[in-house]
Amino acid sequence: MSPLTRRRLLTTAGAGAAGLGLGAGGYLIGHETAEAGNDGTGSVTFYGEHQAGIATPAQDRLHFAAFDLLTEDPAELRELMRAWTVAAAEASAGEMVGNVNDVQLAPPEDTGETVGLLPSRLTVTFGFGPSLFEKPGLGLRGKRPAALQPLPPLPADELNPAESGGDICVQACSDDPQVAFHAVRNLARIGRGTVAMRWSQLGFGRTASTSRSQDTPRNLMGLKDGTANIRAEDTEAMEKFVWVGDEGPAWLRGGSYLVTRRIRMLLEVWDRTSLLDQERTIGRHKYSGAPLGRHDEFEPLPLDEEKDGHPVIPPDAHVRLASAKENDGARILRRGYSFTDGVDESLGELEAGLFFISFQRNPEQFVAIQRRLGSFDALNEYIKHVGSALFAVPPGAAPGSYVGEALLS
Amino acid sequence: MHRNLVRTLFCVMALGLLAVFATACGSSDDDTTSGSPAAEVLAFNLTDAGCDPVDAEAAAGPITFEVENTSSNPDLHELEVLDGETVLGETPDISEGDSGTFTLTLEQGEYTLLCPGGDGDSGTLTVTGELDTESSPEVEESIATYREYLEENTAELVDATEPFVAAVVAGDIAKAKSLYPAARIPYERIEPVAESFGSLDPRIDARENDVPASEFEGFHRLEKALWEEESLKGMTPVAEQLLADVEELAEKVETVELQAVQIANGANELLGEVSASKITGEEERYSHIDLVDFEANVEGSEAAFEAVKPLLDESDNDLSGEIEADFKMVFNSLEPYRTDDGFVPYTELTKADTKKLAVAIDTLAEKLSLVPAAIASAEHE
Repeated sequence: MSPLTRRRLLTTAGAGAAGLGLGAGGYLIGHETAEAGNDGTGSVTFYGEHQAGIATPAQDRLHFAAFDLLTEDPAELRELMRAWTVAAAEASAGEMVGNVNDVQLAPPEDTGETVGLLPSRLTVTFGFGPSLFEKPGLGLRGKRPAALQPLPPLPADELNPAESGGDICVQACSDDPQVAFHAVRNLARIGRGTVAMRWSQLGFGRTASTSRSQDTPRNLMGLKDGTANIRAEDTEAMEKFVWVGDEGPAWLRGGSYLVTRRIRMLLEVWDRTSLLDQERTIGRHKYSGAPLGRHDEFEPLPLDEEKDGHPVIPPDAHVRLASAKENDGARILRRGYSFTDGVDESLGELEAGLFFISFQRNPEQFVAIQRRLGSFDALNEYIKHVGSALFAVPPGAAPGSYVGEALLS
Repeated sequence: MHRNLVRTLFCVMALGLLAVFATACGSSDDDTTSGSPAAEVLAFNLTDAGCDPVDAEAAAGPITFEVENTSSNPDLHELEVLDGETVLGETPDISEGDSGTFTLTLEQGEYTLLCPGGDGDSGTLTVTGELDTESSPEVEESIATYREYLEENTAELVDATEPFVAAVVAGDIAKAKSLYPAARIPYERIEPVAESFGSLDPRIDARENDVPASEFEGFHRLEKALWEEESLKGMTPVAEQLLADVEELAEKVETVELQAVQIANGANELLGEVSASKITGEEERYSHIDLVDFEANVEGSEAAFEAVKPLLDESDNDLSGEIEADFKMVFNSLEPYRTDDGFVPYTELTKADTKKLAVAIDTLAEKLSLVPAAIASAEHE
């Protein structure tokens, strides 16, 4: 049975393609243009050298989930990753998940909420946490990379274990929030009995640009943060700072390490801070995004410049402490999202902030930067890190194979 | 992994109405196991113009569609049978020179034949005659097995409700409390059947917020009086009505019509009950004996499954074995909470406890949800 595309189901159900605002073939065109805009028609190929969702230009929405593995049977884990790979590829292509979707007496395999929705550049990225390698039954101890250790305690950590860690992660990004949600929901369902969701996070707006084709977005503090992010087009930087090379085990080469930090912003406090202090905290002008003392967002940071005997960029400004220059040249690929999860009941304040995601060749890159930021960053007055996780992200899979096969087979 | 089981079960399976059953999977041109032996065979060619022949006729019952792709049009690679806008069945993708088959059991009516990508219009498949809906002896046996279970439990329900009601009427709070769980168990085992009798289930088992205040009666009204109000004042008519209602239920189940698919659905619904109200502590909100109901729901679900299992074994032994193992796993997950006279109150469970129980139920329920469709074909073969 040929896979049912979401558009085709609508057509057979009598709703014209016109409802999608597309002419005939619109879907197919989108299918072939991975770099298409965020109007929904673009789709990103799931299979490839690297997993999608890292170098992919950051989509607008996120649904991230961390799972605990309920089994120590390696065959079950293999079967899970095989089934997840197939389903993720189907969803990325804008197809319905599974084949049994119109049997009256059977529950449809696809949960259905994306029927009629476009692929919306969905990417699904899988990673394996340090705890996965500690389960004796799986026999993965010998394959654990030395770099895959739980992140050390970092200054300014206020971590909640229930929002941290996990054996396996799924990062679903899309320009349509329902498409991202659908991916996580369907994977969770497929994994029922093998994995249980430990925590999950919705992100409603991207806070990073990972391509030169994208503008730098603003975070919830109203700031352009991440101007100096690595761009996917800079393949040299990607090789140097993001993709695991020969130093890693064979199963991880071409993969990366994914760090998540759930960073709660104390927005009420931030909002009553003067514009001057806001700008000095970050080290950039709020509206233009230009470094302090400059006019253009992309001008280099004048880290050595002084005015009236004081550095133009304060010593504790966020951009200074996060800059490659101050971190022995170390850089990371940031790919975070703004979140809000209702109200902090104990304070009556917005439960909101940044779900920080970074990809790096070695977790130590993140740790070194965060050590400095956690200790000295002026921004610490307005944020706290409440969730944390680290995952090793295997390279991409070829059609017929599955993500993590080189580790699990 | 339930997902692979699904694929094994229904590679090309589509059901329109309840009476329309697909019976097999067409996967390749040498698929001769498709369909029941008596299937009528309709042969088609995919030509550049579309389906050839365009229209067809067949007798109601299993129909095997044999399709050969003789076209040179690369867009043309399948034949579909639709009921209105619903695709009932289709061939797998057939490339030029290849062929594929699938089988559908169709009742009387007009269906659309479509070879998408061809130049021609869609055609009509006219099905005439009556579908033979007589159940097999195996199906009859499944139904008889479950009917017996049903009647045992309604009898037990009446037997256990009588002393409970008597204690309420006598105003003996302590005694009524001790007799309450035993009366709940048989009801929770067969709840989906009770629910099929309209107002009987709400009268017996409604929770306070389910019905208007004036209609709040039955078990949970008495539960509230016993545990929260600690007074049985005015409860005699409620208790007497409850006994009358469970007796009515016992009478009604003797004549209830049952289908195997319905029994299998009941097994699912019972697990749905667990997920919706037992695992959340909402069902027995005054007495907190939710785990007693939990176990009874799962017992009822298992009994329903066991009744239809012989039908499933014909089509999928693996699924059958996995479901049985998962039932054991669910029962085991309850063991840590068992006490001498039942279970710990729901209020003693931590979030980690309820999560473990919920994960166990979800694991079983995903697989059990595949059973009705799997046995549907067996029922009419």
